[in-house]
This record gives sequence, structure tokens and C-alpha cells, in this order.
Amino acid sequence: MFKKASLLILIASVGFISCSKDPISDLSTEESLVYLTNHDKAASFNQYKTFSIVDSVLIVENNRSGTALSDIDRALLQRIITNMQSLGYKYVSPKSNPDVGINAAWITNTYLNVASNPYSSYYGGYWGGGYGYGYPNYYTYYETSESYWLITMLDFKNPNNADKTFNVVWDAQIRGSGIGESQYIDKMVDSIFGQSSYLKIN
Amino acid sequence: MKKIAVVIALFLAGAVNGFAQEAPKLYTLPSPFERYTHYLATARFMGSMPLGSFADSYVNKASFQNASISIEWVLRNSPLSIGGEIGSTYFQKRIPRATYQNGDETISAVQTRTLSQYPVELFANYHFLGKNSTIQPYVQVSAGISIVDYNLYYGSLSTQHQKIAPKYGVGLGSKFLFKQDGKFGVDVRVKYDGTSYKHEYIEKGVSSINGSIGVFYRWW
Repeated sequence: MFKKASLLILIASVGFISCSKDPISDLSTEESLVYLTNHDKAASFNQYKTFSIVDSVLIVENNRSGTALSDIDRALLQRIITNMQSLGYKYVSPKSNPDVGINAAWITNTYLNVASNPYSSYYGGYWGGGYGYGYPNYYTYYETSESYWLITMLDFKNPNNADKTFNVVWDAQIRGSGIGESQYIDKMVDSIFGQSSYLKIN
Repeated sequence: MKKIAVVIALFLAGAVNGFAQEAPKLYTLPSPFERYTHYLATARFMGSMPLGSFADSYVNKASFQNASISIEWVLRNSPLSIGGEIGSTYFQKRIPRATYQNGDETISAVQTRTLSQYPVELFANYHFLGKNSTIQPYVQVSAGISIVDYNLYYGSLSTQHQKIAPKYGVGLGSKFLFKQDGKFGVDVRVKYDGTSYKHEYIEKGVSSINGSIGVFYRWW
């Protein structure tokens, strides 16, 4: 009879395990995309008339960087131009003093994670207080890598001369699993401009 | 003739007398489940419906991915049983693409909202009928903790928050024995569960009504 009872407990335990599934495995590529935009609330976009854009995409991988202009990069830059023009901005060459400049970057960050962290957040936040963790060497590590598009709009019209910076008046991040696929480029770029209606000047 | 009648009468009396003595031992001896404090283990599968502000502000979709196991001590000479229950409940809801404000940031994403709970509780049941009745209705109160795992996905990005929160519950249920004096039976229960947990969208705790069907096994 004890065997039957333990069988029941076993069945119930199997039930528990099967409950912990991946809730986003059924997301389509398009659904997985996340668009994040920020803008300078003090900036008045009506003062800008012209814009220019970088001629290639900045590739940032951890601390290294370089530029690239593959087909997908070209498609991205072209779609940004189209969107800016339909918002009322005039596309000019970088040499003819544009009011705003647009950068596009592909950023990849790689993180090292520890698989069995004994100090879980169940303790209400992480322990630390200035001390790092000393992990025993038998712990397993896994690496996660995350890439995203970062598009920034710089104010060339009102440079901050004191500390030689250009203010970022708008930026957009595109994250998700389909960001490297060319068929989503137009949709991605249209979306970041579409949710930023304050950019419209015409 | 008279002698015979007396003999028969004596014999019958003896027989009846004999029966009268044997009967309590053979037929009315209380079941061990009534005589001893015994154990009862139950495995339940639950359907769960979110309630109140939890349903309004986070997930309002019913969930059928819930289960629990409990073990209880059914006390001798008392309508009470006390025990412990551990379980797993899971709520999930998908929200089509929408834009959200996170401070000054605008986020456009498909949200997947999930909440997993692993409650660990102590409970007391009050039974209205005897321990060998084939139908044993009961009321239950429970209290304990719940390991709460809040996972909110924006597209494929997730934000997670985990906490151990206090929880309580009140329930109404009944056990049904498969056969009188048997060891196996079915347990049906409706229970209100509340967890005192607040994070982002969940402002006033997690509450739900849970209907469960389970099987139990009892032994001494």
C-alpha cells in the first residue's frame, strides 16, 4: 500500500515539473520584437529642418567597435531616411550642417552568468555591500549574449560647447529574436518612428 | 416434552446469549480509522480562477496547470485533522502588441504575463461526519508561505521578481470513500487562496478561487 501512495506522489511531482515550461516559446518572430524609445522632453523638434545619417552601421561588441555596411545595414539606414523624410525632415549631406544627425549601431553584450547562485533573490535582493562573490570552481557557468539595434538622434543645432557634446534628443532600441533578419527591417524601423509621433514636423 | 422444551429454550437462550456476546466483536467493532489517529495523503489537480484586482490588473485567465500534494493527521476522537500541503500554481496571459510607458521610455511589445507560486501551507480540516462515512464534508483553513515567481515578458525580454510571501486560504470540500472502511477515495474541494504579494502590476495581492479534484489514500 505504501508503494501505491508513493506512486501517487511521484505522479504529482511529475505534474509539477511539467508545469515549468517556457511561456514565450510560442511567440512569433514579429511578436518577439520590442521597441523602446526615449526622447528629450525639453527638445522642440519643430526647430529642426534637416538631417543626415551615418554612412555605415557602428558595430559595438562588448568593448570593441567597428563599422559595417552589409545589405541589412543598408536597408536599415535607407528605411530611416524614408521615415525621417515622411515626418517632414530634409535629407542633406553631412557636410551641409544638418540640424540633427542619426547614428545607427548594432550592439552585442556578452554576459557571464553562474548557474547555481546560492544567494538567490529569495533573500530579498542580492547580497554584496561592496564585496564580490567568490564562486567555487566547480560551479558551472553559462554565457548569454544579447544584441540590439540602437538608433540615436543628435542635436547638431544646439551643441553643448562647454563640454563638447551633442545632446541625444531621441533614441530607439530594437530588441528581440528577429532583429538580424532582413524581412523585419522595414517593420522595425517603421515601428520606432510610428510610436514617436512627437518627431513629426510637417 | 417439557424437558425437551426447556432444553431447546436453554439452547436458544444460550445461542442468543452467544450471539449477543459475539456480535460486538464481529460486527460493531469500530474501524481502525475510527479508533486510531491515522494518516491521509491526497494528490490534487486544480483549476484556478483569478479574482479581484489581481484579475483586473494582471492575469484574468483561468489556469489548469495547478497541482498539490498534502498529508494530514486525522485525529482520534475528534472531527479535526491537521496537515501540510505543498503545491504549484501557474497563471499566464498574453497581451497583444501595445505601447507602455516606463518612466519616460516608451515600450512597444507583446506582453506575456506569468505568475508561478509554490505554496507551502499548514491546514486544519473540520469534518462534519464520521471518519468512516462514505461522504465526509469538511471546511478548511490554511496558512503558510508562497514562493512567488513573477515573470513579465516584453517580447522575448523578461523581467523577473521572486519573493517569499505569506498566504492563507479557506476551503470547503468533501472526501468520498470508494468503499466503506476503505483506504482510497476521491477528494473534491473549492478553496479561496490569497497571497500577500505586491509588485508592479500586482498592487493588492494575489487572490484566486481554486476548484480541485484529488485522490487520497489513508493508512494507520
